[in-house]
Amino acid sequence: MTISRLGQPNLGLGVGLRSVHFAHILEHWPKVDWFEVISENFMDSQGRPRYVLEQIAERYPIVMHGVSLSIGSTDPLNHDYLRRLKALARDVKPKWVSDHICWTGVAARNTHDLLPIPFTEETLCHVIERVRTVQDFMERPLILENPSSYVEFRGSTMSEWEFVTRLAEETKCGLLLDVNNVYVSGFNHDFDPEQFIKSIPQDRVVQFHLAGHTNYTTHLIDTHDGRVIDPVWELYPLAHRLTGGVSTLLEWDASIPPFPVLHEEVLKAKQFMKRHLPSAKTAKHVAVLTGAEKKGRSDHLGQTALPQPLHYVTADVE
Amino acid sequence: MPMTRHGLEQMVTRSEKLSARARLSIYANAYYARLLECLGDSYPVLKRTLGEEAFNAFAFGYLQKYPSRSYTLGKLGERFPEYLAETRPDIDKATSSVIQGTVSWPDFLIDLARLERTIAEVFDGPGIEKTAVLSTEQLGGITPDKWMVVRLRTVPCLRLLAVQYPLNEYYSAVRQSPDESTIPLPTPAESHIAVTRRDYIVRRHDLSHSQYLILNALKEGRTLGDSIASVTDCCDFTDEELESELRQWFKNWICQQFFDSIILPSG
Repeated sequence: MTISRLGQPNLGLGVGLRSVHFAHILEHWPKVDWFEVISENFMDSQGRPRYVLEQIAERYPIVMHGVSLSIGSTDPLNHDYLRRLKALARDVKPKWVSDHICWTGVAARNTHDLLPIPFTEETLCHVIERVRTVQDFMERPLILENPSSYVEFRGSTMSEWEFVTRLAEETKCGLLLDVNNVYVSGFNHDFDPEQFIKSIPQDRVVQFHLAGHTNYTTHLIDTHDGRVIDPVWELYPLAHRLTGGVSTLLEWDASIPPFPVLHEEVLKAKQFMKRHLPSAKTAKHVAVLTGAEKKGRSDHLGQTALPQPLHYVTADVE
Repeated sequence: MPMTRHGLEQMVTRSEKLSARARLSIYANAYYARLLECLGDSYPVLKRTLGEEAFNAFAFGYLQKYPSRSYTLGKLGERFPEYLAETRPDIDKATSSVIQGTVSWPDFLIDLARLERTIAEVFDGPGIEKTAVLSTEQLGGITPDKWMVVRLRTVPCLRLLAVQYPLNEYYSAVRQSPDESTIPLPTPAESHIAVTRRDYIVRRHDLSHSQYLILNALKEGRTLGDSIASVTDCCDFTDEELESELRQWFKNWICQQFFDSIILPSG
């Protein structure tokens, strides 16, 4: 067991703050341990989203989670974006600021997706340099998440976990271990998710993500549209044991349920923390769908499932 | 230039169950699906008016012409009204869609998109929730000798729209009706709307043409005298009627928090 977390506290069990829950939270102030907010939803806001965030930040620990840093892109870092990110962090005082090990666009265009990086020495050097630049500018360590991915590059010369490990060791950044993403990518790329979790430097893991996904039999898509499926919960005790326990966050971004359902889902983590490792391998998930997976899949047949996070806030109009 | 299958497989590996092309297509499909969904959320009334298929066809064309260049999805739809105007069918050729006179179905769609974009910008733009606004007492405190030369500064969230249909009424009708219901399209009629924000909620107010002219002049920084003069030639009121109307209009506008301060002439 390793407890370091870059000196960060274990905040407990939190949920992603979504605008559909604003009214519920402001009325009931639920007993949730902490909230993670999508940075881009608030960094330019001069309206209700920012106002609600200010209220919530007075009462709960907050973590800022970004989707547009594009740390792996060959485009120059967007310094206007970084200035706004830093200003939001100054105002909201989050426990930490996170984003993804990915790129989101090129030639000044943004796909608003979390695109995979080839895992090579060249890309590693590129990302290391950019992480250092961002950390220097932000005056705080970045916490970087493994995204779900759907392709791998033939030119990759190392595994994703080696890339993540070397990135963390070289830059001293923290890691946001998305357990669901490890499971999704493991399925899509035929690797063992347990190997991923065991291989990364656990003392640099500051946070876990949990989420639901959709099983298309041939591949999984990280849709964040339902409950966490059992095989992902089965991985959670391993991650919990190896890290000594870190802040755990449930993401739910589509077909978002009422807040109590969301909260109840993340509280399930308590029972899994006490669990020993499953005796059966969870890694080789043949295409046998769990009940939740079957439901998720049938709900999506005939439409394009959206890899998340999708981060748009609709206006409140009288 | 499209990449060949061989070229693609030189770059992307296949998995046990999917070819390289199938794996890459997950990203390609998600790109449009995600952004079309986001644009639909940005223009909910326009989407209901057009129907999903037609809306997505416009949105698809828009995304091709104006791909996102911002880190935020909040700006994704900012040029959609402009795109609709640019790609508007030539009015001479679109005779079948002409409803009346020179105002047609495309004009309606463009105006509706403008209204929805304005609402989105007002919702998350600068507001007055934490600042002082002009009170009735402050307005009443302007001495008669200054009345015509002062300027009333409009609040930063006040936006004024001149449109060719009674859009405000239509917008409300669509929002208040069940998703599957059809709302009849309105008959063309020039209308004016003030969009603003109070207590973090976007508010819409119908304006008469005269009210629009005065508010627009004030928003441009013209004096109260000049602003009022902008309607004296075009409205049918007598001087007494106009004075009475103006009292009521300004009383309402103060209640609706359209102004934040009085700017006295220098010197």
